Amino acid sequence: MSDLDRAIEQLRACRLIPESQVRELCYKARELLIEEGNVVSVDAPVTICGDIHGQFHDLMELFRVGGDVPDTNYLFMGDFVDRGFYSLESFLLLLCLKVRYPDRMTLIRGNHESRQITTVYGFYDECIRKYGSANVWRYCCEVFDYLALGAIVLGASSELEPTGSGMNDTTQSTMPIDDGELETEVLNSRGEVTMSTYRQRQRAASDISTDTQNISPPRDISSGSTQTGPPIRNGVPGTGASGDGNGSLATSRTGAVLCVHGGLSPLIDSVDKIRLIDRKQEVPHEGAMCDLLWSDPDEIEGWGLSPRGAGFLFGGDIVKSFNHLNGLSLVARAHQLVMEGYKEMFDGGIVTVWSAPNYCYRCGNVAAILELGEDANNGGTVSRSNGEYGRSNGVGELNTVVSPGRRYRVFEAAAQDTRGMPAKKPVADYFL
Amino acid sequence: MAAPRIPNLNTLRRGRGRGRGGLRGVDDNGTRTTGKDRVVQGTDNDASVSRLSAVELGYLDDPYATALTDPGNATRRLPIINRGTYVRTTAIDQLVAQFLGPYSPDATHKKQIISLGAGSDTRVFRLLASRQPSDLVYHELDFAVNTTAKIHAIRSTPRLQKALGIDSSSQDVTVSEAGDSLHSSSYHIHPLDLRSLSSSTSPEILPSVDTTLPTLLISECCLIYLLPTEAVEVVSFFTERLFPPTTPLGLILYEPIRPDDAFGRTMVSNLATRGIQLQTLHKYATLKAQRTRLHEQGFVSGQAVADIEFLWERWVGEQEKERVSRLEMLDEMEEWQLLARHYCIAWGWRDDAAAFQGWTMLQAQPGDV
Repeated sequence: MSDLDRAIEQLRACRLIPESQVRELCYKARELLIEEGNVVSVDAPVTICGDIHGQFHDLMELFRVGGDVPDTNYLFMGDFVDRGFYSLESFLLLLCLKVRYPDRMTLIRGNHESRQITTVYGFYDECIRKYGSANVWRYCCEVFDYLALGAIVLGASSELEPTGSGMNDTTQSTMPIDDGELETEVLNSRGEVTMSTYRQRQRAASDISTDTQNISPPRDISSGSTQTGPPIRNGVPGTGASGDGNGSLATSRTGAVLCVHGGLSPLIDSVDKIRLIDRKQEVPHEGAMCDLLWSDPDEIEGWGLSPRGAGFLFGGDIVKSFNHLNGLSLVARAHQLVMEGYKEMFDGGIVTVWSAPNYCYRCGNVAAILELGEDANNGGTVSRSNGEYGRSNGVGELNTVVSPGRRYRVFEAAAQDTRGMPAKKPVADYFL
Repeated sequence: MAAPRIPNLNTLRRGRGRGRGGLRGVDDNGTRTTGKDRVVQGTDNDASVSRLSAVELGYLDDPYATALTDPGNATRRLPIINRGTYVRTTAIDQLVAQFLGPYSPDATHKKQIISLGAGSDTRVFRLLASRQPSDLVYHELDFAVNTTAKIHAIRSTPRLQKALGIDSSSQDVTVSEAGDSLHSSSYHIHPLDLRSLSSSTSPEILPSVDTTLPTLLISECCLIYLLPTEAVEVVSFFTERLFPPTTPLGLILYEPIRPDDAFGRTMVSNLATRGIQLQTLHKYATLKAQRTRLHEQGFVSGQAVADIEFLWERWVGEQEKERVSRLEMLDEMEEWQLLARHYCIAWGWRDDAAAFQGWTMLQAQPGDV
């Protein structure tokens, strides 16, 4: 067993590794990350995760629900640290996994991966408390500076394979509309389908645009499904449920998916412009790099000022034209607490994924991860020239990209008795 | 796929240590003091630590916060907590200022404030320091363990004495032998368990309260710890028994609300692990329920309520909002809204003498949620 595997074992048990090992790990991670572009290309299938915020036990629950590394290909959209009490254990484990399985683990930067923010929101204090000095904090911050700013997911399938089919013949799957393809599916942490939506099978590119919609989570995800049969362990998480392609009349043309922590920037009109940023620095207070990590979508037109004091608000029209110009079918982002774990907006043009359940041990929310399946029709080859679909072909049917099939796995905070939370759980602050 | 190994219980580190209430266990001479009471008494420590945090970061200007917080407990609170402390404090300040009106040494304008469960609150020092010679009388009621600590702080801190307009040699000031009660011309500290008011028949239980003065009652996270019947009885003691019906009376409540959504449920269960029960929370769960409560308790001239988010949005001016926003980067907008929607300030009054006229100008939150 290599030192790295030993470190992974130790961190999985929520035990820290020695400072010298952290230093070595951070050095290796930096060597790896420096080779990555600002926008990393990731092939589907992939499981996209939002904020973690040092909630180590919930990260373990995420791996239980989404599948282990390296079986599942993960993309974490930043905010690994701060707020929770186990930022070090969480970030160092993710970093170890990144170094150990670089092609199965993508980490991009969140606004909390910053010197300034971590001194206010807890990671700095945690490093001092657990290691007795700021050294480990400094090593980690140097890694933060090298994290990519975004990722592009290529080759995602437009259609999900219904959960459970092919696995267990007794499974009752939801009743699809005639000739429809499964577009979204929501599963609870027991693997039970709680909601699914279908879209009309694509006959011609011009038919599909009317079928897109916002998917709202059901109100009570934990109540189980009324649509499925007995609870069974469904599907193989993270392996992606790819369409078998037999029923498709037209070859799916799923657009690429841009993943970024916050959102868009008025200074960035193309994915290529993100590639031009000099990212190896502390997150600036303003500018394109800051916006990508700080901005939020909002029900407005155009751009608005952000109440966060950094980044901007951007409306549906901005998302629509950005996606169109860049051949994207979806922007996946994190950054905002959403009580149901995920939230699609603007006709499904953008989704917020939030992966910290009961955020800060106080908010009472559930968390979610987003699985994108692999498009079997592509035969394993995917276009590397993302952002080129629309532009190179001018106005035509190729401009109408189909959104990927989206499987959300929703989960709650790790049960304290089974996941070894301290007997007296950490208490959140209230006004008393 | 194997489930990840379950972390080793014994190696888990505790979260950040929570400062124990420095005042606890100092004095237990109250015969009725139970473990639960001590927990409630300890909540004062939360409030004073939060206040000191907000003061040190520049949210609030309060030269007395340091003297009334155990320095060993000083902790920097999270930005959303600091902002909440700021909104709560300044909103109640505004209500108090509107009640008191402009300073006037003329005795005919004299007013009275009675603060329930005042703990280490600094409001009396801030008010009296700016209104000398005093045009108000300020009473504080709390458990003896809390009043003793406060009187000790006053005795050992010249700055606090100066604010009150007294000095230790002054004959104007009387402190009980046990050191748990204090009486001066404009400031009185009464050591008592609020629940004893309901059974008391003697007005002497609160010496020096002038039942003819227009009076403002303040409960900042206090009545909520009592049983619903006890909370009603405490307010009724003032509205029906101590004060004649002709005396203008007002009440300001600051309390959590909305216990029935995901955030509210989590709040209730988190506080329960600390032994804290918010006993009237479900009875007064909404803004509407708080308004109805005020009316039912005799504050018939007006009832109004607003949650902390509304107060931040509407009561804090744009310039001030900008100043406060610049103090710390507040990243948690969604969490702030969640938190701020779960606390409210309610204010009601009965008034035939226009003593509470200033309150009619203040913007309340519409709606029944």
